[in-house]
Amino acid sequence: MLWKLRRRCWELWHGEQLERDAEEELALHLELAAADRVSAGLDAAEARRRARLELGNPDAARDALREGRAGFWVESVGKDAILALRALRSRPAFAAVCTLTVALGVGASTALFAVVDAVVLKPLPLPDPSALVRIYDVNPSKGVERSGVTTGNLADWRRLAPRYRGIAGHYTMGRTLTVGQDSEVVLTAQVTEDFFPLLGVEAALGRTFTSEEARAALYDNAAAPVGPDPVVVLSHDYWQRRFGADPTLVGRTLVLERRPARVVGVMPASFAMPAPDVQLYMPWGFSGDEPRDQHYVSALARLAPGASLLEAEAELRGVANALAREHPRTNEGWTVNVVPLQQDLVGDSGRTLFVLLGAVSLLLLVACANVALLSLARGLERGHEASVRLAIGATQGRLLRQFLMEPLLVSCAGGALGALLAVVGLALLKHFPAGLPRIHEVALDPRALVFAAAASLAAALVSGLPAAWRRTRAQPVSELSGTPTRVAGAGERHRIRDALVIAEVAMAVVLLAGASLLVRSYQRLQAVEPGFDPRGVLVAPIFLDMERYGHDGRSRTYYAGLIERLTALPGVVSAGGATALPASPLGPDFERPVWPEESASDERLRRPAWVRMVTTGYFRTLGMRIEAGRAFDGRDSPDGARTVILSHSLARRLWPDGGALGRRLVVDYSTAGTYPYDVVGVVNDVRFGGPRSEPRYEIYLPHAQRPYLILNVAVRTSEDPRRLAPAVRQVLRELDPGKPAHGIHSLEDLLGATYSRDRHAMLVLSAFACVASVLALLGIHGVLAHRVRERTREIGIRVAIGAERGHVLRWIAGYGLRLMLVGVAVGGALAATSARVVSGLLFGVSPADPAAAALVLLALPLVGLVISLHPAWRATRIDAAVVLRTG
Amino acid sequence: MRSAAPTTSDLLHGTLDALVLKTLAGGPRHGYGIARFLEDATRGVLSIEEGSLYPSLYRMERKDLVDAEWTTSESGRRVKLYRLTPTGRARLRAEMAAWQQFSVAISRVLLAPA
Repeated sequence: MLWKLRRRCWELWHGEQLERDAEEELALHLELAAADRVSAGLDAAEARRRARLELGNPDAARDALREGRAGFWVESVGKDAILALRALRSRPAFAAVCTLTVALGVGASTALFAVVDAVVLKPLPLPDPSALVRIYDVNPSKGVERSGVTTGNLADWRRLAPRYRGIAGHYTMGRTLTVGQDSEVVLTAQVTEDFFPLLGVEAALGRTFTSEEARAALYDNAAAPVGPDPVVVLSHDYWQRRFGADPTLVGRTLVLERRPARVVGVMPASFAMPAPDVQLYMPWGFSGDEPRDQHYVSALARLAPGASLLEAEAELRGVANALAREHPRTNEGWTVNVVPLQQDLVGDSGRTLFVLLGAVSLLLLVACANVALLSLARGLERGHEASVRLAIGATQGRLLRQFLMEPLLVSCAGGALGALLAVVGLALLKHFPAGLPRIHEVALDPRALVFAAAASLAAALVSGLPAAWRRTRAQPVSELSGTPTRVAGAGERHRIRDALVIAEVAMAVVLLAGASLLVRSYQRLQAVEPGFDPRGVLVAPIFLDMERYGHDGRSRTYYAGLIERLTALPGVVSAGGATALPASPLGPDFERPVWPEESASDERLRRPAWVRMVTTGYFRTLGMRIEAGRAFDGRDSPDGARTVILSHSLARRLWPDGGALGRRLVVDYSTAGTYPYDVVGVVNDVRFGGPRSEPRYEIYLPHAQRPYLILNVAVRTSEDPRRLAPAVRQVLRELDPGKPAHGIHSLEDLLGATYSRDRHAMLVLSAFACVASVLALLGIHGVLAHRVRERTREIGIRVAIGAERGHVLRWIAGYGLRLMLVGVAVGGALAATSARVVSGLLFGVSPADPAAAALVLLALPLVGLVISLHPAWRATRIDAAVVLRTG
Repeated sequence: MRSAAPTTSDLLHGTLDALVLKTLAGGPRHGYGIARFLEDATRGVLSIEEGSLYPSLYRMERKDLVDAEWTTSESGRRVKLYRLTPTGRARLRAEMAAWQQFSVAISRVLLAPA
């Protein structure tokens, strides 16, 4: 086998030499034959003549030699390519349509593959990424499924769990960075000492934190650094965008939250942990006595070599149990979940993306089927060429190779164009973030290019094989002679053509079914009552710093003043703020155990509830309903009684008889103490995380009594809220130029972003379905038009012997309808069997949704019927007399 | 001018190949030598058309049934000698057995008393 390969290569190189050798051999033969004759008595000239005659035609020998040579194959392929190119050039419209169709199919599928590859398939760009895991705290007895971990426990875990090479923590929040006169809020991540070493990434510029810096970096309750001035490391993206990739930045001092902060390093461009939008890193050290009941830390860990995920999880659970026994007050009931980091980052997006990838493959097949149909139709006109060549001795294989060259060229061109389209598409995608994780890693890398090549090759085969195979079949003599009495073999050709159209329709049906389900699902999502009215509301998160606002109730004064000024703006109906606002990702969001004062001993009524500090006017601004009691007002002042407002489901849970109002709720506030609060109101539930999330248990405390430094300020206007943004910025600047808001958004946009993935999936799948349907309808139209052209004589005869126009119309249109119905039936069956695939993406809609099914099963055939009327109508215009005359 | 006797182009490919293999079983020869041998051996009944001989030789060379080498003959000229390979030898045996079977069967029918 290897010998043969070497021989082939040798033949390739020495092609000319081989031909010369063959000539020499034949010449020798001639000479010897002539010599023999001479010795038998003939004269030299006659001997040579006889010998040459006997030698016969040397061409056979030459051809036999040539055809076997490896190089010959390449030469003949080259010749085929030139012929194919010429044939395509003579029909530029056909070539253009085919190339574009293939380009669209290959481009769309390559782009989508690049996304799937980057988001789901490729390992994280970190050393040994499979050993990286995320650790969550869970408490099944309290119904907590996924929570941050505590700093107190983290320190113990490191000591007691050898199956982990390291466990790091991080916490992200916004802080104000001032450079010169400009202030902006940047996303900063406090990271523990082992964060960068654990991930295995060094700084690209400068360095990361030293142990001393990490140990000295302590923070107070408001997450402000105490102790020495902080050092910071910048993300690559922020260094480029904000500082123009200034290489002298390392060593300079910036102002972070009014304290000098020295820049010690810049991370490399590929580093996107813990999230791509983190702009600044700060060290984080633990003091001796860290609390064990504040679950706000995100934990990352690297498994020790050889440790499996299950073993490590079991070990850590054992440690958690031991800690629970040691510290029952804080740790009881708490255990851990350990998940691979990549899986955690990708989350649900994988499922959606794979569904879309499947859909785009169907689209590619439909596109190829259309090209195949076009080629089949065109192939009929060149049927004679194959017949002649077969008659003079060409093999079928040879012909097939040549006829496949055209679709191969078209697919190469289409594939190259498609790759370009994919590049454009991906660039656009980066500009319209689809809420996908790891989107920054998407690029048209070699893997995607290999996919594009494979897709092009598949396109060439699918689109070219039917026509090419058909053309290599020998045609009977009657066709060669030029008078097609009956188109023999027509039955078979029709079968291929009809099968292609039916396949197209079936695939279009599958795509339409999926798209219509997603549309219905999206409608259901939009119809979900979020519990608040997002229209006309603007949200501005503000991060005050401890140094200036942390004492004497300055934050309270600031926010009260801010809200007053905002309310005074023209067009503003009301303003208010909350530490955690629905659909807004920023701000402290945490749970604390709460229970009714009178049932302090009843364990069942001890629930964790999410805590929000809200100002007066908040509920009105968000359009929430006060179901009982009142909202916060002047009575809830710092020296007044402690008051609380409950969410509807929490009130119902704790006081099922409905008597929450007037009772007292005890809130375990950890370091800030455990006190009873008077329940002064109950508000409706909100879907905090958007329509896909369930309402949570929430308690609202007056901001005046607990003046948090971070607040999401909301403003309700009677006009378009976005137009109010400049005025809001102006008010903020007047109050404190060093305290800008961290991005001002309309609440509608924020709410929409919570289900942006559903929206994008729906849009993309609908686009695919529309394109596929159009292609399928074009296919039907083309097939019918072709049939009419083919059967022109037959139709003319029928009309001449008395068939009515209506009959002809029904005949053609009926044929089209039959094709459509078979296609719809096949497609419907396919869609039904693959319903499970889509059901994971749906919301409030079952895959057997009647509206969606009706759309697909009825609408498509109807449109198909309308489309078929055009060629059917053309058929009725056939003038029988003309047809019969011209034959 | 074609002779009246059947020529090698009337033979099926396989038969010509088998004849050539058998010729080479007796020792390496060049193309013309094979042609002369076959003519002599068949007492002139078969005349070898070079139009089919060389394609056969090239085919068999590609299939590794024969091996070819350019050497210098005694007279000093360059000749391409063909030689049987082990694979070719095995193929020859198979062809001979097949021919035996075939010819016995045909003879049984054709040469049976009327």
